[in-house]
Amino acid sequence: MELKEMKCESCGHINPPGTQLCQSCGKMIDSDYDQNKIKDLMRYDGSAIRSKTKPKSIFDKIWIFFTSVRVGVSIILAITVAAAIGTIFPQEYYIPIGVDPGEHYQENYGTLGYLYYSLGFHNLYSSWWFLILNGLLALSIIAASIDRGIPLFKSLKNQRVKKHDSFFRRQRLFLNTERPANTDSLIDAFSKKRYKVRKDGNSYLLEKGRLSRYGPYINHIGLILLLFGSMLRFFPGMYVDELIYLNEGETEEIPTTQGQYYIKNERFVIDTYEKEDGEVFQQALSEGSDLVSNFQTDITFYENNSADIVGSSPDLEEIDEYSIRVNHPFSFGSYELYQSSYDNSQLKAMTFRVEDASGNTIGDNFTINLDDPDSQFAVSEDISVNMRAYSPDFLEVADNGTLVSATPVPTNPAFVFEVTNGQESELSLLQIMNSTDITENNEYNIRFVGAEEHIATVLTVKKDHTIPFIATGFIIFLIGLSVGSYINHRRIWIKADDDFMLAAHTNKNYFGMKREINEVLESNGLEAVNDKLDDEDKNKE
Amino acid sequence: MNQNDRQVTNMKGRTRNILRVSIIVTITLLIGITVWFNLTSGTQAVEVGDEAVDFRLTTLEGEEIQLSELIEDKGVILNFWGTWCPPCREEMPDMNDVYTDGHEDYEIVAVNIGENEQQITQFLSGLSADLEFPIALDRSRSVTEAYNIGPLPTTIAVNKEGIVVKKQEYQLTHEDILAFVEEATE
Repeated sequence: MELKEMKCESCGHINPPGTQLCQSCGKMIDSDYDQNKIKDLMRYDGSAIRSKTKPKSIFDKIWIFFTSVRVGVSIILAITVAAAIGTIFPQEYYIPIGVDPGEHYQENYGTLGYLYYSLGFHNLYSSWWFLILNGLLALSIIAASIDRGIPLFKSLKNQRVKKHDSFFRRQRLFLNTERPANTDSLIDAFSKKRYKVRKDGNSYLLEKGRLSRYGPYINHIGLILLLFGSMLRFFPGMYVDELIYLNEGETEEIPTTQGQYYIKNERFVIDTYEKEDGEVFQQALSEGSDLVSNFQTDITFYENNSADIVGSSPDLEEIDEYSIRVNHPFSFGSYELYQSSYDNSQLKAMTFRVEDASGNTIGDNFTINLDDPDSQFAVSEDISVNMRAYSPDFLEVADNGTLVSATPVPTNPAFVFEVTNGQESELSLLQIMNSTDITENNEYNIRFVGAEEHIATVLTVKKDHTIPFIATGFIIFLIGLSVGSYINHRRIWIKADDDFMLAAHTNKNYFGMKREINEVLESNGLEAVNDKLDDEDKNKE
Repeated sequence: MNQNDRQVTNMKGRTRNILRVSIIVTITLLIGITVWFNLTSGTQAVEVGDEAVDFRLTTLEGEEIQLSELIEDKGVILNFWGTWCPPCREEMPDMNDVYTDGHEDYEIVAVNIGENEQQITQFLSGLSADLEFPIALDRSRSVTEAYNIGPLPTTIAVNKEGIVVKKQEYQLTHEDILAFVEEATE
């Protein structure tokens, strides 16, 4: 390839290196170029694609590498494949909270799952290499757009009216005939079809819909904004998506607010539909299922006035009260708290009663708060129960007689109770399912009456400053797409010297353009335009 | 080509180069920053060499202790534990032995993770000797989260400058405890 300025043999215009069609007259000047590839040549109007010129520095080399369509497509392909792999098994943020991810993937998905985990695919979308791939895509889009967009813009802006005869002949739609009596009326007719008319001597250039050519570039600007927005999600303070787990009555710090804000779950409510609520619910209700009409958390929102030292109790000032319902989040600052789910699987309290040997209940029932148990319960005037030992998740009895717990979570509570009537006392070990006498010949039995669960609400803490970028990006992307798809860039060159020459080019829908031209030509008493593709088809036949 | 034309071409070449270099540099920087933010985001575990996070907790005896006050004149050994964790139960008496031999220049704080007083006193009553060092109650687990404690027991030595000088995420032997004391008091 020639890498210096090229002088057009026909008109003498100096063209930048890499030019294929003379910027001035449209004569083919890059003789190496395959002369049959009309379409490729016209895509950038025969101008020099920047990267096809000689590289100098390392930056030029990098740039030219990324302007390549092949490189761009490879990057897109790599991202597509990676994104697809990320959907084979759930990502880490979808597996239950608190479990060891390695074990979870191994248990649920076997060796493949373990491999998936070890390769880091469980956090694929925020892995460093996925981020880099997206960055390279951005570079590829920008480089390719600048490399092709700027020369295209310049050549469309500076295009001349007069074109070389060879340029006419090379276009797909071409007509060479006798000069009509009235060229002006022909031009007028095109002008009525909203063509912009330029005239130079006996040559005309009719053009409309040039914007269509910039569609892909508008589209790319949207994509870049999208990528920029999704990049911002990784910047501190731009994006928050966290869960708060709050038992009824609990107050907790709101994550990512650096201890400035606290929230209390006053009450969690589930409402269901009743028969009276309407005909539409009748069928579902008659099948015996509950239809939930409302999930709601009543909260109190606090601000912390004390300087925050980790672990110290905060000095809370009540700011607001609110009922968070599905799709009715509580907002403060740029944060929003959404109702996400609830949990009633955690034991909160257990109630027992004391029975004598003949099975009669003695005194009142007593209730043990499992989070912070009391050690003594008066059942009746003379009988009291001491809780000597408690294990939330009973494992075994240790050598020293204490109860050993496997975890701190009350999933399998066990107690050692001492029943005393003032003079004598007897001991028993009680688990949910069975009880064992420790002392022999016990007179009293302790029976399990019932358990109460914690009702916890799960709220999502959301903050997203990237939405404006992502939304704008999408809108621009769609605008670019419609501009590129629905607008056709149509140009007609006419030369009315001794004979009449007409050539036409469009970036899409030749059929529509042919019809438009033929209509005008016919009404001016001219024959229809030739289509090279039709001729080729005929030749094949 | 005349002199003017050449100058124009050089000007174009220069703007083009500036554009290319600045775009490549900007994107490389942005990728770098994003990857860096991504790798450093989330709560990072406190490691040796980091500054220890200051905290204030109430002890089982009802006293308030604050790390920054403790390290004014002593090194501090933080031991994160729970009554349900067998190695925690086993290392407690060893720590107590070393501690009772003299602790003029260091302090041990056993930070219990999220348990109620009944569970802790029940555990202590099963030990053959009373623990001499303070047991701090982290009921809300905020200190545990600030230090991003993983497995239990985790022991961390903090020197007088407030720097984490040693960390171990498994049971301490008698020798380990002595090593922690040495590091904390150095």
